[in-house]
Amino acid sequence: MTYRYVVNPDLCTGCRTCELACAFTHTQNQKPGRSRIYPIAYRPDKFVPVTCLQCDDAACVKSCLFEALKRNPTTGAIELDKQRCVNCRACVAACPFGCALIDDIHDEVVKCDLCGGSPACAQFCPTKALIYRRIA
Amino acid sequence: MHLTINGKVIKAAEGEMLLPAIRRQGIEIPALCDHAAVEPCGACRLCMVEITRQDWNGWRRHVTSCLYPVEEGLIVSTHTPQVLEIRRTILDLYLARCPNSDVIQKMAEEYGLTKTSYEIIPEGDNCIMCYACTRICEMLGKSAISAVQRGHKKVISAPFGKEPPDCIGCLSCAFICPTDVIEWRDQNGTRTIWSRTFELISCTACGKQILTRDFADYLAAKRAVPREYFETCDDCKRVELSRKMGGLVDLAKEVAL
Repeated sequence: MTYRYVVNPDLCTGCRTCELACAFTHTQNQKPGRSRIYPIAYRPDKFVPVTCLQCDDAACVKSCLFEALKRNPTTGAIELDKQRCVNCRACVAACPFGCALIDDIHDEVVKCDLCGGSPACAQFCPTKALIYRRIA
Repeated sequence: MHLTINGKVIKAAEGEMLLPAIRRQGIEIPALCDHAAVEPCGACRLCMVEITRQDWNGWRRHVTSCLYPVEEGLIVSTHTPQVLEIRRTILDLYLARCPNSDVIQKMAEEYGLTKTSYEIIPEGDNCIMCYACTRICEMLGKSAISAVQRGHKKVISAPFGKEPPDCIGCLSCAFICPTDVIEWRDQNGTRTIWSRTFELISCTACGKQILTRDFADYLAAKRAVPREYFETCDDCKRVELSRKMGGLVDLAKEVAL
């Protein structure tokens, strides 16, 4: 069973509800700066919500010298073990998609963990531009 | 495996140390040198607990819980008056050695100490010799810094007090330091730590700087991370990703037409 984000940029209005949902789920406050997902405009009126792609051969996992990033076998998400992370930012620089992020407020590395299997960003997307569903 | 912690019988895995087993019960144990990324070394002595067994006839031992493996039938007490007194004495000594450390002052206040009863070391810095920095440096395969000299002269230093040749400027030592004593600064595209200056990689598009060139080279060589991944910053790479995904959508539409 493989679950994936399915994105339809035609439906995305760039309303940033996914950002708020993400920030609230992970930090209990709605500061968009603390989100792990960002809708980015690739043309003036066209948006794509960009978040971690949970790569198979992930550069962030390879670059972590302290094994703080591990794949959760149930959800398939690469999760950051905050206890082991020393904040060296190797993963932030290594990710070819720029999706390991620095939380500027707490000065720590944050990363999408798929909310344990049902991502809040997809649940809250008002236009269903972003859905998380089984594809195989 | 079963053991008793503060009167409660709990399960623990074979080979596990006492400290994580105790913390899992929600019991707070102070520790400065403990970090999940490195092996425990029992340097700060603050995680001291009292252990005994049924067959010890009332004899007890005080051990550092971070280094003591769990045993079947062990009876652990984490907050007996003796244990608290030991921790208080250690914190008292730390206060004398590191008079300017906020972390230690806060910890000492929790144990009812505001002033050290020993003589404050005037030249004392905030280093408590916990070896977290040297352990993490060893862990990432560099060992650029280590303890030098003996006894009260002992300090953490680069070889011969000069620029460490093996350092890659990753800042792991500075970030893991419990008392924030390792100085570093980023300015004008360079990073200075252990009196050595490193060049930071500037993003080819926007100039944002994250890692030093030596650190990126090291990751590319040791972990086979493609070196070109480090040339662009995370912000620019996200924008690039959205452009690529948008391009795919446009392409799909063209094919459909």
